[in-house]
Amino acid sequence: MDPLKAFPLIQVLDEDGRLIGDRSQVSDDQLRAFFRWLTILRTLDQRAWNLQRQGRIGTYPPFSGQEATQVGVAAALSPDDWLCGSYRDWAALVYRGVPLYFPLLNSMGHPAAGAFPDPVQALPVQVVIAAQILHAVGLAWAAKLQGEPRIAVALFGDGATSQGDFHEALNLASVMSAPAVFVCQNNQWAISVPLHRQMHSQTIAQRAIAYNIEGLRVDGNDIIAVYQTMKEVVERVRAGGGPVLVEAVTYRLGAHTTADDPTRYRAREEDERFRHGEPLARLRRYLLASQILSEDEMQAIEEEAKGLVEQAVTDAASYPPSPPESVFDHVYASIPPQLLSQQEELARRVREGRRGGQSHG
Amino acid sequence: MTQYEWTLPDVGEGIHEAEIVKWHVAPGDRVAAEQPIVEIQTDKATVEIPSPVAGQVDALLAAEGAVVRVGTPVIRFAVETGSGRTTSAATEAPVPPRETPLAAPPRSRVLATPAVRRLARELGVDIHQIQGSGEHGRVLADDVRTAAARPAAVADRPPSPEPRLQPADDGDVRVPLRGTRRTIAEHMVKAMYTAPHVTAMDEVEVSTLVAWREEMKAAARSRDVHLTYLPFIIKAAIGALKRFPYLNASLDDERQEIVLKSRYHIGIAVDDEEGLVVPVIRDADKKSLWELAEIIQDLSRRAHEHRLTREELTGSTFTITNFGSFGGLYATPIINYPEVAILGSGRIQKKAIVVDDDRVVVKPVMSVTLTFDHRVVDGGTAGRFLNQVMRYLQSPLDLFMEMN
Ligand SMILES: Cc1ncc(C[n+]2csc(CCOP(=O)(O)OP(=O)(O)O)c2C)c(N)n1
Ligand SMILES: [Mg+2]
Repeated sequence: MDPLKAFPLIQVLDEDGRLIGDRSQVSDDQLRAFFRWLTILRTLDQRAWNLQRQGRIGTYPPFSGQEATQVGVAAALSPDDWLCGSYRDWAALVYRGVPLYFPLLNSMGHPAAGAFPDPVQALPVQVVIAAQILHAVGLAWAAKLQGEPRIAVALFGDGATSQGDFHEALNLASVMSAPAVFVCQNNQWAISVPLHRQMHSQTIAQRAIAYNIEGLRVDGNDIIAVYQTMKEVVERVRAGGGPVLVEAVTYRLGAHTTADDPTRYRAREEDERFRHGEPLARLRRYLLASQILSEDEMQAIEEEAKGLVEQAVTDAASYPPSPPESVFDHVYASIPPQLLSQQEELARRVREGRRGGQSHG
Repeated sequence: MTQYEWTLPDVGEGIHEAEIVKWHVAPGDRVAAEQPIVEIQTDKATVEIPSPVAGQVDALLAAEGAVVRVGTPVIRFAVETGSGRTTSAATEAPVPPRETPLAAPPRSRVLATPAVRRLARELGVDIHQIQGSGEHGRVLADDVRTAAARPAAVADRPPSPEPRLQPADDGDVRVPLRGTRRTIAEHMVKAMYTAPHVTAMDEVEVSTLVAWREEMKAAARSRDVHLTYLPFIIKAAIGALKRFPYLNASLDDERQEIVLKSRYHIGIAVDDEEGLVVPVIRDADKKSLWELAEIIQDLSRRAHEHRLTREELTGSTFTITNFGSFGGLYATPIINYPEVAILGSGRIQKKAIVVDDDRVVVKPVMSVTLTFDHRVVDGGTAGRFLNQVMRYLQSPLDLFMEMN
């Protein structure tokens, strides 16, 4: 079997933004909305990077380059479906309804950034690589047992597929026929480890064969392809068709996090090759060429994005400081007595430290 | 107009300091918010800093090349009152913000993974000097090892810039911590805060050793070597190390393993004007006393001339410091980390000692110390090791009898 033939890359727009497939499942209005969101998210991502450099937020993991996958996936879900993502998946979360300033709050160390406002149906971002894949299976299986029509989607990276959790999750989901969609954002890198050092398989999608589930490979920089593919997949899974593994082939345009410098391990040639087909530029080319949006309209959207992001920065900066003991608040629905006493102990120490003039950074 | 001082933040995760590589602005320049103002370098990355405010540059508070601690003010702006952080960047001069996450900083184009960079740091090779053999010239671990194996004169390294003396208002002089001094400072802190240090001290009567050396002085002159006590101390130490392998060892923190070394590479601390250096005598157990004397003479001469190779400065398994050479009787030296012990020898001086039949006699006495890492070695082992060293020093014939 040739995995590249068995799992062909699903594309609707090519790298230059030319329509090469069927886009009948997405309206012009939907595309305008996608462009607006991709623009807002890109602006936010770049601003967050700068804020870290200015010392105003802590470590931040940029998602630039992966917006098409994240927004395309989130857009295909129903409000009741679960989304279980990682530290890099703020684009999906924000599209789903998490306020724009939450990613900034998160990098400022506010525990509140893990408590998404209703009615957002999503788990807090996961830093333990691959753990959220298991959580998604649990949620999906629970929905099935309760006879509810919701499904669960896990977003994770290429590196996550090397973790044992990935296998456990896919195996259990396939055995239980849980309504879960596993979306791997193959961005070619796990920090400084390139894909070919991560696995010897030619694709990630082909791993579906081992679990006897459906596997698909989609161009993750093509929002139309991602959205349409996910729409179909979500429908099948909701109808009881069993779990699906989707490999979204994309690229991490920036650094792993603000603490990383990819020019130290990544060749410029590779960068340029991927940069050309990046999702925002690709959609922009298509929308201009097909006259769905004009330059002027795009510029207006960019101005609007700047304003929204500026507001998000103000919102995050003026968010009331979180007392250190608030880290306990969202661990359990109601706090158990042992944790409560630990929380009180911490609060007391912090108070005493303040009085003593010491800092408990 | 108000003044806004911007202090260096932690631009990575747990970064303590950074070097100012290049200023993009000068005093008097008007800057827009988010406009790149300075390029700085940490041990992890070269990063561009976008301006935190819109306004005019009042003063640059750190020079290019300066290493600045996190939290230090580096630039001062004059900001229109009321136009602080709340002003939108969009209302300022139309300088396009750089697409920072996508842009590649122009400096340090060496491709290598962090693991390879760490290897280079550990082996003391400058990764920028290596021709990588990987894809796109990527530097691989083997490239680093090859480069490390090539001896490069230490003198070839760019000399650490003359420390700039900065007289302060109160007449105190502030000398920037640079070059060798800074390396020593970092090593000492690492050793001291990693290994719990304990020092054992004792005295040994060395009349036989003194007599032997006196006897060999003429022969030494004819061989053109300066015969000190150090070769004897090295031999005594190795004799004892062979009996107590846990002192010729290191602790691999990461893997939680004690590594017992099979070779005896002895570091000897040499006091130099520029600071302490520790050249290494490889396989010292296989060298004769004459050979050791010659090697020590050669190493210390080249240490003072700063002509030691990297190889000659790394890889010791146990270190000896002769603080007696500058008059010290006792000292508590710091372990040459990651080794687990350092033997110190003090000045030899005549002392009145009480011998077996309660007579008081005058004999030459040498003070010795053993500082050890209490994580690996306990007081009992350390004491027995030190006794063994002393036995050899007191009766060098024992040493002679055991030589192979
Ligand atoms: C269980 C676990 N191991 C290691 C890490 C350290 N770590 C953080 S990000 C990362 C790489 C993950 O790569 P990938 O899954 O491709 O996600 P990406 O960062 O590319 O989005 C690693 C190893 C971690 N967070 N959790
Ligand atoms: Mg990845």
